Amino acid sequence: MILGLRPPVALAALLAAMAAVVIAVFNWKGAPVTGQTFLVTTYIGLFLGALWAMYATGLVVVYTTTGVFNFAQGAIGVFAAFLYWELHVNRGWHSILALFVVVGLFAPALGVLLDVVIMRRLRTASLVVQLMVTVAIMVLLLSVVGDIWEADTPRRVPYLFGIENGIDLGPSQLPWHRLIVFLVAVAIAVAMRYLLRRTRIGTAMRAVVDNRELAALNGARPNAVSSTSWALGSMLGALGGILIAPELGLDPATLNNVVIIAFAAAAFGALRNLPMAVVGAMLIGLLRAHTGAWLDFGPDYRFAHLSIAPLILLFVVIALPQARLEVGRLAHNLRRHERFTKWWEGLIGCGVIILAAVALSGGWLDFGIWDPGAWGSRELNSANEAMAFALIGLSLVPLIGWAGQINFAPLAFAGFGAFVYLKLAGDTGDGYWILLVGLLCAPLGALVALPAARLRGLYLALMTMAFAQAMSLIFFPHSWILPTIGVGRQFPHIELFGVTFDDRRGFFLLIVSVFAVFVYALVLLRRSRYGRRWMAVNDSQAASATLGIPVVWTKVVVYALSAAMAGIAGVFWATVSGNVDSVQGFDLLIGFNIVLLVAAAGVSIPVAGIFLIFIPLFTGLGHRLEDTGNVDFLVTLLEIMTTYGPGLMVLGMVFNPRGAIFEMGRGFSPLLPWRSDARAEIAAENAQKREPEIGELGIERPFTPEEVIAIDRRLGILDDVVPKEGYGSARS
Amino acid sequence: MALLEAEHVVMRFGGVVALDGASVDIAPGEVTGLIGPNGAGKTTLFNVVTGLLAPTSGTVRFDGADITRAAMAKRSQMGIARTFQKLEAFNTLSAFDNVRVAVEKNRRAKWKHRRVNDVAHEMLDKVGLGDVADVTVGTLPTGSARLVELARALACRPRVLLLDEPSSGLNEEETSSIGRMLLELVDDKGNDLAVLLVEHDMSFVMGVCARIHVLDFGQVIASGTALEVQADAAVRAAYLGGDEFRGAYAGVGQ
Repeated sequence: MILGLRPPVALAALLAAMAAVVIAVFNWKGAPVTGQTFLVTTYIGLFLGALWAMYATGLVVVYTTTGVFNFAQGAIGVFAAFLYWELHVNRGWHSILALFVVVGLFAPALGVLLDVVIMRRLRTASLVVQLMVTVAIMVLLLSVVGDIWEADTPRRVPYLFGIENGIDLGPSQLPWHRLIVFLVAVAIAVAMRYLLRRTRIGTAMRAVVDNRELAALNGARPNAVSSTSWALGSMLGALGGILIAPELGLDPATLNNVVIIAFAAAAFGALRNLPMAVVGAMLIGLLRAHTGAWLDFGPDYRFAHLSIAPLILLFVVIALPQARLEVGRLAHNLRRHERFTKWWEGLIGCGVIILAAVALSGGWLDFGIWDPGAWGSRELNSANEAMAFALIGLSLVPLIGWAGQINFAPLAFAGFGAFVYLKLAGDTGDGYWILLVGLLCAPLGALVALPAARLRGLYLALMTMAFAQAMSLIFFPHSWILPTIGVGRQFPHIELFGVTFDDRRGFFLLIVSVFAVFVYALVLLRRSRYGRRWMAVNDSQAASATLGIPVVWTKVVVYALSAAMAGIAGVFWATVSGNVDSVQGFDLLIGFNIVLLVAAAGVSIPVAGIFLIFIPLFTGLGHRLEDTGNVDFLVTLLEIMTTYGPGLMVLGMVFNPRGAIFEMGRGFSPLLPWRSDARAEIAAENAQKREPEIGELGIERPFTPEEVIAIDRRLGILDDVVPKEGYGSARS
Repeated sequence: MALLEAEHVVMRFGGVVALDGASVDIAPGEVTGLIGPNGAGKTTLFNVVTGLLAPTSGTVRFDGADITRAAMAKRSQMGIARTFQKLEAFNTLSAFDNVRVAVEKNRRAKWKHRRVNDVAHEMLDKVGLGDVADVTVGTLPTGSARLVELARALACRPRVLLLDEPSSGLNEEETSSIGRMLLELVDDKGNDLAVLLVEHDMSFVMGVCARIHVLDFGQVIASGTALEVQADAAVRAAYLGGDEFRGAYAGVGQ
């Protein structure tokens, strides 16, 4: 114990303080520090902190009472802010009325709807499914906002209480708006704390998350409780969004990013401690305000002050105590016989992929009524982009699909890979450097995973998100990293085995071959002891550790592998886009879409990566249809599919957590000549369907006569006898 | 000479004292029982011994060496294996793969480079699950999944095997076959194996255990042979009550 702190906490605090001092000394702007400016900066910081505290409060309330960490909290705020703008500014409603309609009616309704339709069913789902679904809701809400309120009109949300008048503080003043918002945020946090700790409903809320059945037996109503939580969380998000919009401007992406700050604040309270979460939010607010006022990071680090939240998250993660090893969860949708692709099946599959690519792009296929012809440069561009996406998606298969760990930063790793390649290969484009890129990206992946790997999976997910944001705020904008702003320097064409892949079709075939090789390597890996071990760790960390498997180290290794794959994929992506500047497009939202699509496709199966070709494919198809004209509805349909497709597909995971490819495989495998086992399985399932299912021993409802026969037959006390009258329907 | 000793182990969770200075020792070549009412601290003791929990105070010794703070991997390497009361099988893997994961981890150190598949099949056959080797464990009935855990623990080639209620979910016949198997395992001098058994099935415990420790409110209130424990007044008062005990009496001493 040092100063009453546990050693890791003390270490993290010390590191953070040292970093802060060094950064402050080297970037001091030189503006005079007066009591006045200090005071003004401080209250701006506290005000910002109060707003973030509101978001964080919503997160913590929902997490402590339902066990689901809501990534969509920020997006709910975005939606509410736009709706408020629509009602108040566009339709001229009075601000109080608009506020009441949005926060008092719309937000709780949205919360309850989310709970009833989706969240309730996530209770026993794996962390991957839980997170994917809330991220999908986030992406969907943002897409809806983008569709309804198009970005071309400038919008402003006015301050709720006016910013002109306030308490006089000498030359400047503290506006009422900010004072009231601060007080409201603190009051809400106190009220929520009181609600959770001191009231009957609050106790019930916390009880339900611990043991739903037991709480229900003691008179709590789990469904009512979780609906209340979601309604409350949604209201807090909405209020936060409306109050913060005047400060940040009404831009969906900016407003949504507030949620990362809220994550850092919530993590400060270990995701459950409300007062500490509020303290964390205030701390981030103060740091932001004061760094903005006193420090100047220069043009290379012009976004550095925005990265305070991710950095705080990092330090919190280092300081958190080691979690107890997670015990296993019940797995759903298991088949009696899981079957892994055999090595020769993988070989055939990859051969088919390559042949299909050659035939399609060369225009060898003529479908009779429709001869697509050889691909032109536009098709090839779309296809190359698609395959680069698919390659990035593959990097998630061992990580999310097998080890059950989440990575929201595949694009950050890809961008890092592109950077490394640019520095290594320079203008030559020598393809052999790509292998070294993989080797250099692996340690970065390990480094990101290391602090959080000993904690619960949720922290790793948050950590990767913070990492992605820090990369795009600090790393990629630096002029040395990607030194080409404005000039448009081209990525060199890749050269391998003495061949320069400078034409689009050649490059397409190269990237398809790399994809096939990666898929095949994954097929082999999944059959190997490593694939087995990673799945075992995902199933039960406690049991794995008892067998002597180093759980934390295993997770770190899988992250390193995933980062290496993403880095290699990044080289191809950068080469497809050609221009180095595009690496800055490696941002979080596109990353989310990649993760979502792979998850929805069925991330445990290597070939799931191929689903990612749908994003560029639909865009390309849309262009083609626009050229032919007269198919407006089809173009619209494709646009809708591109925008909403990933999110909607992921919502399907609520019911089918194993993804689309898995189901497709079930349908397809009986057609393969050597899969008599699959045909037998289908036959057995059909036979079982004909036998009526014996219900929950009549607890949920009385037995029907058919069920009575089925039970009797299974007990062996009945051959084939007509059921007696009234035997099974005693109640009626 | 005891192979595994837990000495004066105290485990506090906040205000709750789960283990209050419990001392237990187990010797090779026999099955030792650990009984006690629900909440007596049996599973907590298992967690302390295997390293899932670090005790508040006290010592755990294995073969004379202090392993109180040793890493779990180290303990597994030394030869401590266990099963769980709440199932912790690898649900998405087949029974065969569950065992293979354990064999692969211990192949070099414990199995003298024997073929992984051979060892895994041998372990599954030993617990009688040879027929369902390819079945996904999450779809097996509870009793069979428990046997998978047992096979997985045996695949670590343990010197100390901790079994947490292995008979729950099994029928009488399966239970007695587990009992026979345990006795065979400890009787085989080549194994040099010690078994610690937590059980609620009294006739099972009394039938296979050479010695029994009785745990109550985190303290060991009695230790000895089945007969001695049964005769102990404190045990009767704290736990056995009477009827349950008399029924089990018939199985003793076989």
